[in-house]
Amino acid sequence: MDMLTFNADNGYLEAVVRGLKASLLRRQDYTNLAQCESPEDMRTILNSSDYGLWLQNEPAPLQTQALYDCLMNRLVYDFRSIRGQSYAPLSTFLDYVTYPYMIDNLVLLLMGVLRNRDLSELLDKCHPLGLFEGIATLTAIHSPEELYREILVDTPLAPYFAECVNVHDLTEMNVEIIRNLLYKAYLTDFYQLCVERIGGMTGSIMATLIAFEADRRVINITLNSLETSLRKDERMMLFPRVPGGLDDEIIQRLGRADDLQAVAMALDLSSTYRALFQRAAERGEYSLEDQFLEFEMKLLRESFDAQFHYGVFYAYFRMLEQEIRNLTWIAECITQKQFAHASRVVPIL
Amino acid sequence: MSATSHACPPAAAFFGFIGAASALVFSNMGAAYGTAKSGVGIAAVGVLRPELIMRSIIPTVMAGILGIYGLIVAVILSGQISLQSYPYYLGFAHLSAGLAMGLSGLAAGICIGVVGDAGVRATAQQPKVFTGFILILIFAEALALYGLIVALILGGKTAPGACT
Repeated sequence: MDMLTFNADNGYLEAVVRGLKASLLRRQDYTNLAQCESPEDMRTILNSSDYGLWLQNEPAPLQTQALYDCLMNRLVYDFRSIRGQSYAPLSTFLDYVTYPYMIDNLVLLLMGVLRNRDLSELLDKCHPLGLFEGIATLTAIHSPEELYREILVDTPLAPYFAECVNVHDLTEMNVEIIRNLLYKAYLTDFYQLCVERIGGMTGSIMATLIAFEADRRVINITLNSLETSLRKDERMMLFPRVPGGLDDEIIQRLGRADDLQAVAMALDLSSTYRALFQRAAERGEYSLEDQFLEFEMKLLRESFDAQFHYGVFYAYFRMLEQEIRNLTWIAECITQKQFAHASRVVPIL
Repeated sequence: MSATSHACPPAAAFFGFIGAASALVFSNMGAAYGTAKSGVGIAAVGVLRPELIMRSIIPTVMAGILGIYGLIVAVILSGQISLQSYPYYLGFAHLSAGLAMGLSGLAAGICIGVVGDAGVRATAQQPKVFTGFILILIFAEALALYGLIVALILGGKTAPGACT
């Protein structure tokens, strides 16, 4: 019954998002961009896209960092204008989309505090969609309890911190653990929002996307912790589990894996991830992360095939982020004269 | 037993009056929804583009017209209902006239509201949308007009000599 009621509150915004998605760059555009000599040449091509408006005030010659800032400004503008016009429950959904940025910003600043960096320069590096109140007062924090009491309790991340009660002091390893625990709590909460509180078409589409995100985190945590001193039970505690994700058997094997071979054998039980892992092993230049990104783009494209759900908003912003990553990758490759690598972008459409 | 004959019981007037009431009530509900929904859109647009406010009032006006249609039908029907010589036939005819107008007005009001909200926001960003948006609003208004036409036809029915 979404068909009857969706357009009353969300019809305009869904139309806007579909229009924005249609203006994302295509493979042909990436081929043209990869043949540029410098970021300034990229600007000539990008002038005819939606980015033209954002790039026109930058002085020539265009630097990679300036390009990245302009692209990010466009993302923030798009997000804020859509969020500003949304009604509940779309507004709640969009707020949840910003929580991962908050978690990343928090971890960035905590790491900076541990390494005694100047906070003001780190604040510039924070993702603008993930800013929260009290973000600038992180210098005075020395333990997780203080972190919670002083800062997090007023932010939307407060309920996720209940998972981190076992973390007793702030070392670099523990900050990573905090990041993974917060993200795990966030994914479970987001899943509940989409499937139980919102339900309908949104629930079924987002269930697939969130399950993929959880599986990807599980595999990445396993691979990243293979060479570290993280205990097996601690590793299992970090795995986000949502219904529709990897089977218990695979999770158990990944939790116990000691080397890449064990991970490959564990993933053999799942047809999708076995294929991705094998393709990553065969094509040496494309890493597993690239395979995950390509697979994610495929899932996001498919979410646009259905109508009357919020998944298109999530999908569009993910695609836009990937486009920004692609463009900065090309600009970096061109600046460093690695022209062969410039065409290795993850295609979106 | 009573002054009125068996063929024209007093209960017939119940249906006639319910018809008059429903014509007005449902049309006004539609007009209210249309005004409210498009009003929110105008408020959202007017903050940054105040020069577009007067152009954007059009859906509100069209929603108001629905209330006028309901008023017309209700007034006509209430003029037709009488104490004597009012058979069930006329009562049912007036009930159907009222419902036809009222529910058509409600449907048109919902449509004008949703389209008005989206269209006003879209026109603020892309002025060329305005023409298409007005055409869609006219089609929406036509639904209520169809209801009005049918209501006037049904309300014009007479039954001379039914009560003797």
